[in-house]
Amino acid sequence: MEMFEDAVDVLKKNLEDAILEFRVPKPRKAYVLLKPERHRDAISLLLKQVENAELSTITGTDLGNEIELNYHMACGGTITIKSRVPREKPVIRTITDILPGANLYEREVFDLLGVIFEGHPNLQRLMLPENWPQGDYPLRRDWKPHANQENSFVSEETSQTETEDLKDAGSIINVIVGPQHPVLHEPEMFSFKVDGETVVDVEVRLGYVHRGIEKAAERMMYFQNVYLVERICGICNAAHTTCFCQAVEDIGNIDTPPRALYLRTIIHELNRVHSHLLLLGVAGHLLGFEALFQHVWRDREPVMDIVERITGNRLMSGFNTIGGVRRDIDPNTIEKTLKTVKEVRKRTTFYKKVFEEDPTLRLRTEGVGVLSRSDALKFCVVGPVARGSGIAMDVRKDDPYAAYEEIPFNVVSYKECDTWARLMVRAEEVLESLDILDYALSHLPSGRLRVRVQRKIPEGEAVSRVEAPRGELIHYIKSDGTAYPYRVKVRAPTLANLMAFPDAIRGAFIADIPSVIGSLDPCFSCTDRMAFLDTKNGQKWHWSLDDVNNSKNRKALI
Amino acid sequence: MAKIRLPTMIKDVGSCIFKKPFTREYPAVKVQVPEGYRGRHTFDPEKCISCGLCERDCPAKAIELVEVSGKRMPKFYLDRCIFCYQCAESCPRDAIKLSTTFEMSTTEKKELLILPEEFISKQKVTTDEGK
Repeated sequence: MEMFEDAVDVLKKNLEDAILEFRVPKPRKAYVLLKPERHRDAISLLLKQVENAELSTITGTDLGNEIELNYHMACGGTITIKSRVPREKPVIRTITDILPGANLYEREVFDLLGVIFEGHPNLQRLMLPENWPQGDYPLRRDWKPHANQENSFVSEETSQTETEDLKDAGSIINVIVGPQHPVLHEPEMFSFKVDGETVVDVEVRLGYVHRGIEKAAERMMYFQNVYLVERICGICNAAHTTCFCQAVEDIGNIDTPPRALYLRTIIHELNRVHSHLLLLGVAGHLLGFEALFQHVWRDREPVMDIVERITGNRLMSGFNTIGGVRRDIDPNTIEKTLKTVKEVRKRTTFYKKVFEEDPTLRLRTEGVGVLSRSDALKFCVVGPVARGSGIAMDVRKDDPYAAYEEIPFNVVSYKECDTWARLMVRAEEVLESLDILDYALSHLPSGRLRVRVQRKIPEGEAVSRVEAPRGELIHYIKSDGTAYPYRVKVRAPTLANLMAFPDAIRGAFIADIPSVIGSLDPCFSCTDRMAFLDTKNGQKWHWSLDDVNNSKNRKALI
Repeated sequence: MAKIRLPTMIKDVGSCIFKKPFTREYPAVKVQVPEGYRGRHTFDPEKCISCGLCERDCPAKAIELVEVSGKRMPKFYLDRCIFCYQCAESCPRDAIKLSTTFEMSTTEKKELLILPEEFISKQKVTTDEGK
């Protein structure tokens, strides 16, 4: 917390001449509007002054005449550095030379809003297909879905760079993994450059499950958006809804009742427990240890049953809402949950021992996929991946939300920096989560579940961060005073971790690829956020939810 | 080289040989879903005041108001429904309720419709029986 205040002071002192507006509306949240082209000074200053400072994401917002770029810096809280560029000529200096971790974020803003980052090493499309028309930017406010616009699509052709990249050169051979189910059951393409058995480099192509959720959110009311963001990712649904609701509550100055905050914490932690257990099981599967996979998944099932009992569904909890939670928890369920927690703790302790002792597991994971601490910081890595590289960062501790300020727990971190460390972090975190659940369930305050919230949310903006199972998740919401958000930005943890992947895999063997990708626990549905493909003529276009439900278009879909 | 150790999991795996399988014997044995499970909707036409809030609030646009025997009542498209039960929450008269029916898979798309008639006829049958 002191860290945050120091950072704010440093900014105020050193950049007095560049600051146009400075607001600290809530503790640990600051918004700084700077003169054009001064964002680089502010970011390098923060990186120098604050230990473990990282860039969370870059949000581009179309303001009409200008495009506003928000650089969300995580340093004990969130400092949002704003810089505006004219819409007619959206050019800004890159920050990738100061912070290589900004690479993918800048590409995303370039892809969806058309801002050109001068000096960016590889300013290519990130989410949209290669044959997407030039000068068509879906996240600009005046963009409308166009199914049949003439000449809008370039015929099927792969971009020049991609074909060049895929040529084999000398002893280097390209090995393409994906886009169908690389490692985990989600579509993403990795092209590995391989010298013999050793991986020399890797390129990642994202966007296969890009659904345009950020654009769809602008057409739905706030309370409806809760269900939309929940569907960004099944596994960490509670993290997304918590994050979204917090941001809206922040703009609307809504005080959530303490009981609701505790219940949110409980469901959030149950989410983490089953997500981590899933990954530990998958890790066993990826390493060829099928028995471990089956056993961990068997013992994960009671947790899913508890989630079903509390929320009404195994996965899509639909639990959080703006201003509180939708359901109460009864004493019988509390008792049953405590019992399950006890059982799961016993089993997890055993699995942790397996990961510690099993000689095969250790041989396959130790010293594989090493991501050093300095590299992890450079690429702005988050969550268990960062904690496996010795960076003890956790939003629940650094910027407490929900009931985490009152609940005692430890941040787990390992110094080994390899695949093994990242798996161990997760195993130990399950135990911590179970302790949190124990505490929260036995200290559950009484009171109301939710407060009534108006449909219209006052004008304003808010950043909200939570620690999702895979790491820091950030939502940015801008409201213009109506019942519909002006802009919703989501950055899922996997996008942050993906940037460090080439660094972790370099020098590893081909056989280690699955275990290293697995240890990052990627979730690509989170990362990509709708494109339709007409199989008859190969045309692609984007539709919003309204268009999908439009009966004419529905026929076309069927 | 370290001494050869038995893998930690071997005992655990071995003991499973003599246990019953963990998987449930569905569909031979019916699965008990917890109370409060968000399954297929039930609707009470008597309580409905045709306000249309459910249609307006549905995030998946899965509800359409249709005219049945002179009253506008919701028709549910289960193929679009995301089972969030915002409709039940928005309903001022509690006319929409959830049920624990989860077996909804079908090969016919038209079976994924809940028409208000379904509940009207059922009520008539029960009152007829009462007589």
